[in-house]
Amino acid sequence: MCDHLTINKGYGVHKLRLKFPGDESLLFRDCHFQYEKGEKILFLGPSGCGKSTLLQVLAGLIPHAVDVPMKAEQVVVPESTAMVFQDPDSQFCMTHVDEEIAFVLENLQIPREEMPAQIKKFLSAVGLHLEDVQTSIHKLSGGMKQRLAIASAMALQPEVLFLDEPTALLDSEGTNQVWETIRQLPEDQTLLIVEHKIEQMLDVVDRIVLFRPDGTILADGKKEEVLANYQEQLREYGIWYPGIWEDRLIDCSEVPITNQADSPLLALRDFQVLHSGNVKLHVSHADLYKGEWIAVMGKNGAGKSTMLQGIRQLLKTKGTLLYQGSPIKRGDLQEIGFVFQNPELQFVASTVKDEVAYSVRQALKNPSEEEIDQVVRERLERFALWEHHHKHPYQLSVGQKRRLSVCATIHERHQILLLDEPTFGLDAQNTFSLLDWLEQFSQSGTTIVMVTHSEEIADHYADRVWWIEEGRLQKVSSNGVDGKELADGGNRERDVASSSKS
Amino acid sequence: MEGIAKETWLHRVNPSIKLLLSLGVLISLLFIHNLNVMLLLTIVIIICFAFGTGVSRKIALLFFLPFFLLFCSSVLTMALYGKGSTFWWEWGIFRVSEESFYRGVHLGFRALTFGLIGLIFVCTTHPVRLFYSLMQQLRFPPKFAYSFMASIRLLPIIWDEFQTIRMAHQVRGFSPGKGWKGFKSKLSAYAVPLLAQSIRRAYRIAVAMEAKRFKGNQKRTYYYQLSIGKWDFLFLLFLLGITGIVWIGSEWIQLLPNQDVRLV
Repeated sequence: MCDHLTINKGYGVHKLRLKFPGDESLLFRDCHFQYEKGEKILFLGPSGCGKSTLLQVLAGLIPHAVDVPMKAEQVVVPESTAMVFQDPDSQFCMTHVDEEIAFVLENLQIPREEMPAQIKKFLSAVGLHLEDVQTSIHKLSGGMKQRLAIASAMALQPEVLFLDEPTALLDSEGTNQVWETIRQLPEDQTLLIVEHKIEQMLDVVDRIVLFRPDGTILADGKKEEVLANYQEQLREYGIWYPGIWEDRLIDCSEVPITNQADSPLLALRDFQVLHSGNVKLHVSHADLYKGEWIAVMGKNGAGKSTMLQGIRQLLKTKGTLLYQGSPIKRGDLQEIGFVFQNPELQFVASTVKDEVAYSVRQALKNPSEEEIDQVVRERLERFALWEHHHKHPYQLSVGQKRRLSVCATIHERHQILLLDEPTFGLDAQNTFSLLDWLEQFSQSGTTIVMVTHSEEIADHYADRVWWIEEGRLQKVSSNGVDGKELADGGNRERDVASSSKS
Repeated sequence: MEGIAKETWLHRVNPSIKLLLSLGVLISLLFIHNLNVMLLLTIVIIICFAFGTGVSRKIALLFFLPFFLLFCSSVLTMALYGKGSTFWWEWGIFRVSEESFYRGVHLGFRALTFGLIGLIFVCTTHPVRLFYSLMQQLRFPPKFAYSFMASIRLLPIIWDEFQTIRMAHQVRGFSPGKGWKGFKSKLSAYAVPLLAQSIRRAYRIAVAMEAKRFKGNQKRTYYYQLSIGKWDFLFLLFLLGITGIVWIGSEWIQLLPNQDVRLV
């Protein structure tokens, strides 16, 4: 791939060498990449292959804004660039929508008098029609935040717009909003995109560059050709390509749920979760049976996480919560595990091994050190983490951190496992390996309640879906059966799923 | 302090002017040693705080409470342990003399007025406007001003993360034990993840700001144009007015000895 052409037309890099401090090998060795005005290019590759890094080099952020040592024979960066980043919460520096775009306009020294009109123009170009432009960014949904990020990028009037996994942390609605916005950009806008979830955006691009895990370019060509010729690699590299669920489901057959016990493991009756004195979530009636897998779905801020926190008694609650037929007691809580969305916030030890050992010590009665070592090793091997046992949890990759958070939380006494979006932002490979572990737990009789935005996960893995809307459990649907609205009275004998299965 | 205060005329005063004049008032407070003047001044400032900031009664009381406690504790410590010759009351090591009592009260008033002036400033100043004004009126470097403004957005996120860590510790049964060692491990269990998250986020925001062509020292225009106007003049007159009222008033109203506390 490293032909010895220098860049005489368009933009790009020639003979790029780049190494992250502390890494042993070069991330790029004599990499060559070239593109022209008006192209719409997608970078694909496994996590950690360096595609985002290359994007930052091409945008001129490395080595100026991001201090990474690099060498290249030639770098041609467009005169004006703009970049949209992955995390909606860490790319704004102002508190309000109008101020954020004004920040860009100020940098460009646009006169103050022209600003309000321009702010309106850029906001409406991305379909953000707010009643008041002085809206707090904090109140926007993830999809809206990313559209604001696109608006402020477009305010730079860039020759080339770079997008670094702009939808990785969004649900499917937000993802659609982002790509819909990109489609409405001017026809001749040059785009360079790094993305993992390509299902909803393939029509946006016409050229695909596929990277190998070591950062070299495996394929570079027309969209149709690359997609057709490299199916196997797309699958191997954990990319969410179109049709991935069909491919996956050939491998895993549906396992019928084990016989449900007659009495629910957990029963919620007129259950309310309070947050600083206000009712944040209300469940009039819901049951949870042993061995079930429940997906909790709903919009951002509807109260999904609140519900899990309420069940685990992390927030104040009112109403009835019956565990195995009697009101839940402190001791029962040890049988309910909880995995948080951000794994880093729940780590308590300084090595991967200690992290798991911490939980093992609590689960076993007076364990000996050898016993602990053995259990820890078994668990880490099961989650394919043993080779990293001496590392600090923060040194793991995103997918490994997520696996460790599940691995360190679960112990044998857990009857119920509550998970808050455990597959959020993961690539396909890590998502499926995590789901496979959960499937194993589920089959051994652990009940799983999982917040998710993915309809596929709800369809293919969960037995039932709890739909939360505006702080209420509105609907319970089971696989294959259409959901039924829950009446507010809360005196229903049993909900849909249990009657359809009995 | 957005959202909890109704806008009053104090909000319209230029933040830089307000900051400088408030600092001036704080410094001149250090030179008031007359107890009666101090008392009257405290009363006036309490009235300003209660009616001038537009904060609701409940929140005003909530803010006032810690400063009132500060007042009480200053009075008590000074009164109980201070030196003096005219004893009012004695019990063991506690000796309350006239001098120590008056000095305590004086110190208490000083603490209270310092706190309240700070509160009035915070309640009537929008942080974003403050930094815009600092850049425009006082040539404060944009590099720092925008960094401060960016960090305002991070505070609620850090608070949310703190709550999550607390819950996670509860779920995992994390109890670092008592004593110094327990305190240390508890501190690191909170500080390490919070710092790691914040540093990473701050770094990303910095990169995003540079990607938006922010250079820190470039020439720039301002979305909020802040200037000096009639409200600033009015604010100055207001402060002079208060001074005058207190000065003259202290001749007429004598609630506490009208003399220098250092000379009692």
